[in-house]
Amino acid sequence: MDAKSRILSRIRHALKGMPKALLPEHPHPALAQDPAELFLKRLAENGAEGHLVDKEGARKLLADLAQGLPGAAYGKGVPDAFRLLPELPPEEAPLGVSRALFAVAETGTVALSSEDGRRVQLLPPVHLVLVEEEKVYPSLLEAFLDLKSFPSAIGLHSGPSKSADIGQVMVKGVHGPGRLVVAVLQGSW
Amino acid sequence: MQVKAKLYPKEAARLLREHPGVREAVTGATLHFEANRKRAYQEIDAEIWRERARRVKDHLLTHLDHYLELAEKRLQEKGVRVYWAEGPEEAHRILREIVARHGVKRAVKAKSMLTEELGVNPLLESLGVEVYETDLGEYLIQLLGEPPSHIVGPAIHLALSDIQRLFHGRFGTPLDASPEALAAVARKVLREAFLTADLGISGANFLVAETGTLALMENEGNIRLSTSLPRVHVAFVGIEKLLPRFADLALFLPLTARAATGQRLSTYVSLIQGPAKEGEEGPKEVHVVLVDHGRTTLLHDPEAWEVLRCLRCGACLNACPVYRQTGGHPYGYVYSGPIGAVLDPGLLGLEDTYPLPYASTLCGACYEACPVKIPIPKLLLTWRKRAVERGLAPTWERGAIQAFSKVMQSPSLYRFFSKALRGLPLPQDLLPLLKAWTEGRGPLRPSPKPFHQLWQELKE
Amino acid sequence: MRVALFVTCLADQFYAEAGMATVRLLRALGVEVDFPQEQTCCGQPAFNAGYWNEARSLARRTLGIFQEAEYVVLPSGSCASMVKNHYLELLPGDEEALRLSEKTYELSQFLVRVLGVTELGKGLQGKTIAYHHGCHALRELGVKEEPLLLLKNSGAEILPWEAAEECCGFGGLFSVKLPEVSLAMADRKISTLPKADALTSTDAGCLLHLTGRMGKQGRNMRVVPLATLLWEAYAG
Repeated sequence: MDAKSRILSRIRHALKGMPKALLPEHPHPALAQDPAELFLKRLAENGAEGHLVDKEGARKLLADLAQGLPGAAYGKGVPDAFRLLPELPPEEAPLGVSRALFAVAETGTVALSSEDGRRVQLLPPVHLVLVEEEKVYPSLLEAFLDLKSFPSAIGLHSGPSKSADIGQVMVKGVHGPGRLVVAVLQGSW
Repeated sequence: MQVKAKLYPKEAARLLREHPGVREAVTGATLHFEANRKRAYQEIDAEIWRERARRVKDHLLTHLDHYLELAEKRLQEKGVRVYWAEGPEEAHRILREIVARHGVKRAVKAKSMLTEELGVNPLLESLGVEVYETDLGEYLIQLLGEPPSHIVGPAIHLALSDIQRLFHGRFGTPLDASPEALAAVARKVLREAFLTADLGISGANFLVAETGTLALMENEGNIRLSTSLPRVHVAFVGIEKLLPRFADLALFLPLTARAATGQRLSTYVSLIQGPAKEGEEGPKEVHVVLVDHGRTTLLHDPEAWEVLRCLRCGACLNACPVYRQTGGHPYGYVYSGPIGAVLDPGLLGLEDTYPLPYASTLCGACYEACPVKIPIPKLLLTWRKRAVERGLAPTWERGAIQAFSKVMQSPSLYRFFSKALRGLPLPQDLLPLLKAWTEGRGPLRPSPKPFHQLWQELKE
Repeated sequence: MRVALFVTCLADQFYAEAGMATVRLLRALGVEVDFPQEQTCCGQPAFNAGYWNEARSLARRTLGIFQEAEYVVLPSGSCASMVKNHYLELLPGDEEALRLSEKTYELSQFLVRVLGVTELGKGLQGKTIAYHHGCHALRELGVKEEPLLLLKNSGAEILPWEAAEECCGFGGLFSVKLPEVSLAMADRKISTLPKADALTSTDAGCLLHLTGRMGKQGRNMRVVPLATLLWEAYAG
């Protein structure tokens, strides 16, 4: 017998006669408040920065972040209108710009797809994430119940990279970006 | 990993005597985590969340064969290679083949308790692979050659000054370098490793059967990098780590984060579906190794199986006043603290872990903290009962308890000893039990008259 | 109303005054008190150490001794929990154990929940008190507010203490099986202890352990069982 058969047969033997536990239903999601507002609040509490902006505001935000920088790395889904700086490889770029699949208000989270990229989300010290306002879910549960197609990896990012492993002092930007900026885009773009 | 649990009492005492700084560092860190957890639990209806999580896990465990096969099927559909391993031997063989096939020279590793169980690092090193632990705390203890002392914060026993000395010797940083400066040094070394490694190794917090999704939680970004940059990713997953449905993650991810660190969600969650698709960045191969290593034995134990719900959040360690005095090293195995005291005997056998179930005052703080309501005090009592039944308890203890019970069975004997306690000089330093008490607390001072005598006088 | 007092072996030997205070207080509140002479130990030390056979025979004899009682009251949270919770594990399905469980109370719990008494008098006016929550009273019996309420209502001030709900490190056999860890835990409690007129708790074991450790460190503070303070609250 191979390991699989041995393990499964031991499990079946153990479960014989053991009462089966029922699987509880998922809870009803709480009534949604204004998810965008809660999202911005939670981002701030997580040590990230969030801005609710229209297309112009977003470009201004990007321009401010881009000031003095030689270039940026871009996720595949970032529209040309937001590619103000020359493109650099993520290993060298001081700024990464991504487009999120969706966001979650209750946890202050942006969901990033591997289809948009991976290095751009992780290697530059500053990470700007664009997300449309209508893609902000109130809760993780609603977002997950709604998710139908899966890229090879989704990264949920809820703030800057951090660690308190050295003497219990919080340090930002340990491996991932030390700064996370999220632009919640209103209207069409 | 070598098991040294039998030495717990000696090692705990030695550590308190010789390294008092550890107690200070661990107490500070765990009280901080514990306060954060309490605040995070207060923000939600924690009782309902915990009860729901308990039920989902119980369902999963009582249907484990079904969900394991489903998970395997879903993973394979997406091109993930799935393996099954009883323990270290098979896990090593699988890893050895992958290393050989890809000519792996360098591996980056995301913190995983299971890989500690399996001794993955020593194996890789024996194959000539350069291994980098990439969680900052785990990297520190790798440099020191120590095992982790906490499930979530492997280096919480180290003070800033310990790390300053370590980096001074290793990298020539000044002895008063700031935590930021030290982290920057580690970042630089490990960034280079991420960019050049052929292999990424991880555990998993969860494996969703319905979708074949691996879920991994962290705050630094090293897990995302370890599972994104190298061309091969191998994940070791304990068979109890499954969840039935993808949406169960909406409960388990935030609950684990709240329990572990008091966060609403860990800074990063990786939800991994499989190898990179055409035109995508990411590993070209993803391998999942499903590991038993004692878990089916526990599942077969009707008095102890509930421990398999464990999410490895470390909340019980932070809540435990016994753990706080020493950190995890004296426990002598990967899992320490309250969960170690009830998991290790199940995984390794009671004979090799005898003292661990006694590393508790049964204060119950662990149960209140546990996000899946593992009845740790009840399980501790169960393992103690078995230890006595199997004759593992020391002779002096058995003798003392049996004598005590004999006296307590008989009111006349009890009264006789009550008189002796007052009339005769107590041989305070002769009886080992008394000596252990009086050394740190001074002599026992009984009331001038016992209550049962006062009651008689009260009546008369 | 008639109460059978289960004084517990530890209080009998080391805190006899807690037994006296319990009797006086209950009588003052109009309750008749019996003291079954055959009582000794509830069996907790053996149970917690894993010696279930020994614990079971002590549990059985305790069941017999208190069979006829209307209520059983203990000036101890830990022993009360042993009788109330753990006898049911030692003697599963035993109806007598269930009956005893249902009529057994820790003293402050009995006063507040059964007698409905929340004010005893003003005897502790102006006194400051550090209250140690014994773990079994707190987490196994859910006795948290009762003692605090009775103390506060008698004019005492409960001082904030960050470690008030942490285990003191006694743990019965634990204190001698792992003495170094036990003492380190006591030291954490003592190092955070506020300066108060008295340190109190429901449990004699914790107090014995903390008093001994404080004495060893030359720290002087009145350490007194809760029952004694409650009697002082009543009698002034």
